[in-house]
Amino acid sequence: MTDAFTLRIDDAGIARIVFDLPGAKVNKLTSDAMAEFRDLIAELRNTAGIKAMALLSGKKNIFIAGADIDEIADISDPDDGARKATLGQTILNEVSTLPFPTIAAIDGACLGGGLELALACRYRIATENSRTSIGLPEVTLGIIPGFGGTQRLPRLIGLRKSLALILTGKPVHSRKALKYHIVDACVPTEFLDQKIDSFIADLQSGRIDSSPERHPRARTSWLLDRNPIAASVILSAARRSIIRTSGTFYPAPLLALDVIRKTRGLSLEKGLAVEARDFGKLAAGMVSKNLVKLFFIRERLKKDNGVAGDAGETSAVRSAGVVGAGVMGGAVSWLLTKAEIPVRLRDLNWDAVGKGFASAAGIYATLRKRGKYDAREVNLRMHKLTGTIDYSGFQDLDIVIEAVSEDPGIKQIVFHELETATRPDAIIASNTSTLSITEMARALVHPERFIGMHFFNPANRMPLVEVIPGEQTAPATVAAVVKLTKTLGKTPVVVKSTPGFLVNRLLLPYLNEAFYLLEDGVAPKRIEDITRRFGMPMGPFTLTDTVGIDIGCKAAGILENAFGDRMSVAPILRRIYEEGDILGRKNNNGIFLYRKDHKPLLNPAVTAIIEAAVRAKPESAPLGDDDIANRMLFTMINEASRCIEEAVVANADYLNMAMILGTGFPAFRGGPLRHADSVGTGSILRALTTWSDAAGVRFEPSAMLRTLGKADLPFHKS
Amino acid sequence: MNNRIAIVDGIRTPICKAGGVFDPIPADDLGALVVKEIMARGGVSADTVSELIFGNVAQPAGTPNIARIIALKAGLPVSLPAYTVQRNCGSGTEALTTAADKIIAGRIDIAVVGGTESMSNIPLLFNKRMAQFLGRLNRARTGTSRLRALSTFRPGMLKPIIGVIAGLTDPICGMIMGKTAEVLAREFRISREDQDRFALESHRRALAAKADGRLKDEILPTPVPPGYDRVQVDDDGPRAEQSMAALQRLRPFFDRHNGTVTVGNSCPISDGAAAMLVMKESRARELGLEPLGYLRDYAYAGLEPERMGLGPVYATAKLVQHEKVKISEIDVIELNEAFAAQVLANLTAFASDDFATTYLGMARCVGEIDPLLLNVNGGAIALGHPVGMTGARLVLTVLKELRRRNKNLGLATMCIGGGQGGAVLLEAA
Repeated sequence: MTDAFTLRIDDAGIARIVFDLPGAKVNKLTSDAMAEFRDLIAELRNTAGIKAMALLSGKKNIFIAGADIDEIADISDPDDGARKATLGQTILNEVSTLPFPTIAAIDGACLGGGLELALACRYRIATENSRTSIGLPEVTLGIIPGFGGTQRLPRLIGLRKSLALILTGKPVHSRKALKYHIVDACVPTEFLDQKIDSFIADLQSGRIDSSPERHPRARTSWLLDRNPIAASVILSAARRSIIRTSGTFYPAPLLALDVIRKTRGLSLEKGLAVEARDFGKLAAGMVSKNLVKLFFIRERLKKDNGVAGDAGETSAVRSAGVVGAGVMGGAVSWLLTKAEIPVRLRDLNWDAVGKGFASAAGIYATLRKRGKYDAREVNLRMHKLTGTIDYSGFQDLDIVIEAVSEDPGIKQIVFHELETATRPDAIIASNTSTLSITEMARALVHPERFIGMHFFNPANRMPLVEVIPGEQTAPATVAAVVKLTKTLGKTPVVVKSTPGFLVNRLLLPYLNEAFYLLEDGVAPKRIEDITRRFGMPMGPFTLTDTVGIDIGCKAAGILENAFGDRMSVAPILRRIYEEGDILGRKNNNGIFLYRKDHKPLLNPAVTAIIEAAVRAKPESAPLGDDDIANRMLFTMINEASRCIEEAVVANADYLNMAMILGTGFPAFRGGPLRHADSVGTGSILRALTTWSDAAGVRFEPSAMLRTLGKADLPFHKS
Repeated sequence: MNNRIAIVDGIRTPICKAGGVFDPIPADDLGALVVKEIMARGGVSADTVSELIFGNVAQPAGTPNIARIIALKAGLPVSLPAYTVQRNCGSGTEALTTAADKIIAGRIDIAVVGGTESMSNIPLLFNKRMAQFLGRLNRARTGTSRLRALSTFRPGMLKPIIGVIAGLTDPICGMIMGKTAEVLAREFRISREDQDRFALESHRRALAAKADGRLKDEILPTPVPPGYDRVQVDDDGPRAEQSMAALQRLRPFFDRHNGTVTVGNSCPISDGAAAMLVMKESRARELGLEPLGYLRDYAYAGLEPERMGLGPVYATAKLVQHEKVKISEIDVIELNEAFAAQVLANLTAFASDDFATTYLGMARCVGEIDPLLLNVNGGAIALGHPVGMTGARLVLTVLKELRRRNKNLGLATMCIGGGQGGAVLLEAA
C-alpha cells in the first residue's frame, strides 16, 4: 500500500478520491498506486448508496503527469510491456464500468496515463489554470499510449483531432480541450469543487445528457471521421506529415497511426489488445530506450545548477546588456525581451543598433504569423529593448552579454570598457565560439564575474547554450548564468574552457572528415545521403554551407592549432576556402549552388577542386556506405571520448544531450556516445586502429577508447 | 521658490512631421521610449520614483490616462501611480509644474514628467448623423426594419470630422488656430514678408544647430517600428531648400483673400515625446546627482481665445512680476513658434509700454526680447509642434542651451489654444 489515495464520501453519496502520491512532487501512475487505486474502485463498486465519484489531485498544478517513466525504462521485452499495458487497461476498464457517473477533476498537468485514466471516467472537468495541459505525449518517449488512449480518445473526439494529439504528443490547454470535447466543462481552479457538485446535480436532474453518444456530432464530423474514404485520406495525410517532419526514424508515431487504422471499427476490447501488443513492442525497443534516457537527462539538467555543491541562493537576472547588435546580438536581445528582461543593446552606431532591433522584431513577426504572439504582446516585449551607442545605462545591469565579432583584440577592448561601465559584480558573459575564456579573463580586474555563454546560431531557435567558466570564474557566476539560460528557455551545459569547447570540438572533426572522404573519390551527394540516412538533419556539406565556409575553415584552423595534426584541416576544405568567393549559403555559392526554385546543385568550381585532389591521390579501394558513415562518426566519437577523459563536460549523458541539441545529432540514437555503445567500443577501436595504420594520427584512438575497446566495454554503465 | 526643483535629466525623440516617419508609433509608445531612456540612463532606481505625470492633448481613445500606459510600457513598477494632464499646447510644461507643486507640497518625492503627442494618429471621426444612422441600423432587428434603417442613409453622412482640425478649432471664438494668428497679424500689422522672413530664419537656425550637432544630446535616436529598418536620428522638419521665394509662393491658408498666414510661416503638425526626471534640489544633492538645471518659478495666464497667440506675454508678465526679474537678465528664451505672426506680435507686445498698460496693468513694458537670444536653435516652424510634447521640449532646449552658453537664466513660454499662456523660469545648474 502506498497510501496515495484518500476517499471521502459525503452525505449525498458523492465519493471524492484524492490522489496524492507520497514523497513525490508529481502524481504518477506507478504500479503500486495503480494497485491501490484498483482496490479502491472495487470497494466503491461494492459500497451501497454511491451516487457519483470524482477523482481529484492533491498536488498543485498537477493532476496526473502520466505513468512512471522509470517503469517504462525497465521494460525489457515486448511481452512484459504488453502485460503491463494490459493490466493498466484492465484497471481503467474497471473504472469505466462503474455503475455511477465518474468525473475526473483536472487542475494541472493531465498527461499520458493521466489522461487515459481521465478518459476512462465518464466526464472530465478541467480548470482554466494556465498549467492545465491535457495530452498524450507518449510518442515523444518513443512509445504509444498503452492504457487505452489510442482507443478511447478517437471514440470520444473523432479521428482528426485525436490524431493531432496522439501523433505529435503536444498537449493542449483546457480551453482547447473543451473545444475538442475532450473535457465537458472548464472552470476557474477556485470554482472546481463547487462545479463538481453542481455538475453532479445537473446530471441527476437530467440537465446534462449522460448518454454515451452525448457529443453533438456535426455533419462535418461525420463526413470527416466516419466516412471511410475521408478517414483513409486523413490517415494517409497524417502519415505523410509524420514522414515529412521526422522521416521513418521514429517508429512510435507511425505505429500509433497504424494501431488507430487497424482498430477502426473493432470493439474496444479487441482494440485495446492491439494497442497493448504494439505498446510492448515499442517500449522494449532501442529508440524508446534512448528517448527515455534523454528525458531523464533533460530532467537532470533542469535541476542541475551548474556548480558542484551548493551555490546558495542564485538571484534572477533582472536587467541585461548586449554588446554587438549583429545577427547573434539581435537574437540574444530577442530572447531576453521574450523573457521580459529589459535589455540595453549597444553597438558603435545607430544604424547597427537599429539592425539589432530589426532582427528582434523580425523574429517576433515570424512568430506573430504563426499565432504565438499578438500585436500587444510583441509591442510590450519590444519595449523591453533600448539602444545606445555608448555605455550609458550599463551602470545598473546585472549581466552583459558580449556578441561582437570573433576578434580577440576587439573583444578585449569591449571587456575593458565593460569593466568600467558596469558594477563590479555584474556578470560579463562572452558569446565566443572559439576563444579561451580563461585567457580572455587574464586581462580583467574582476575575472570572477567573467564567463562564456555560447549560443548557437540561430540563437532564437537552437536550444543549447554552452556555459563556459574560466579557471577564475566564481561558482555564483556559473549558477547565475545557468539559471538565466533556463529562464531564456534554453538548455545549459557547463563545459570547460578548452578550444572549441564541446560541441564544435566534436562537430568540426566530423565535418572535416567529410572533406577527407572527398579526396578518396566519394561523391559529395553520396556522403550527404548517407548522413541523412543516419538521421542527421542535414548533410555535412549543406551544414558547412549554412555555417559559412570561411567561418568553418577558420574554426577548423583554430582546432588544428590547438590539438595538432589529428585535427589538421582537410586540404580540399582549405582549397575551397582559398577560392575566396565560395562562402556558402550567405552568397548562394558554396559546396552547392543555391538558386531560387531549384534544388541545390554541386558547385562546378568545387567539383574541379575535388577532381584535382582525387587525381593527385593514389587510387584506393572503393568505400562502402558503412565505412563512409563510420569514418565521420567514429572520428566524432573518438574526440568525444577525449572530452570525457579531460572532463570537458560532466558526463557522457550531458555530452550526448549537447550534441543532440547543438548539432541535431539524431535523438533516437541517444547521442554520439550512446551510438558508440550500440555499435560496440570494440569494433570502433578496431576500425580506428586500421584507419590510423593507413592514414595516421587523425584516427589514433584515445586512451579511453583503447581501454574500453579492448574489453568491449560501453561508455555508459546503464 | 526656496528649494528649487531640479531637472536631473531630460531626453526627447526627434520631432517628425505628422503622417511621416513616426506615423506607426502611437503617442503612448513615443512616451514610453523617452521614459525608458531616462530611467535606463540612471540616477534613480525605478522603485524610488513617486509618480509619473505626462502631458498629452489628443488623448487617443484606446489609451485613456496615457501616462499610466506609458509608465507600464516603460517598465516602471505597477505600484507607481501615473496620470495625464491636459492644458493644450502647455501640457508638456503642465506635467512639470504640477509635479513641482506636489514635490514642494511634500506629496511626492521624485517624478518622471514629460509630454507626448502623435498627431499622425489623431483619428477621423464619424459625424453625428452617421453615428445616428449606425445606431438605427444596429437597433433594427427584422429584415424590413433593417431595410428601413438602411434607406435613411445619405451620402453626407460619410463626411468625417477631422480630429486634428476639430482639436485645433476653438469652440468659443469659433476660429481655427491659424485664424487667431490672422487676428494678431491685423492687430499688430505684421506683414506677410516679415512672417516669411521669420519662418526662414527658424529653418536656418534649426539647420545650423543640427549641423553643429547641438541637438544631439537632447535627442534619442529612434529605431522605427514595425520593421525597425530605419533609425530616426534628427528632427525631420527643417528644410535646407527653404527660401523666401518658396515661402512667398504659398497661398494664405486660413484666409484665402486677405490672409498672411501660410503653411510656410506656421508650425507643422508633428509627432514626438519628451521626458524629464525631477526632484527637489536638496534631494538631487543627497543622491549625488548633477542636475541639468532648475525650475525656479512658473505662471499661467488667460486671455481672449481669439488672441490666444499672445499667451506668452501675458504669462511672462505674471512670472517676471512675481519673481522680480527683468527680461534683460534672461540669457536664453524659447517662445514657441505656433505661427510667425504670433511670435512677432509677442515681440512687439513685450516691448510695448502701451500694451502693458492697456492689457497687463503694468506701468512699463514687460521687457524687450533680444531676437538673438530667442529660439536660437530654431523653433516649431522648422521643427514642428507635437502639441502635448512641446512644453517639455522647450524646457529641455533652454536648459541644454544655458549649459552650452555657460549662462544662468532661461525662459520657456508658449501660447496655449483656448486663450492661455504659460511661462517657466529656468536656471542652469
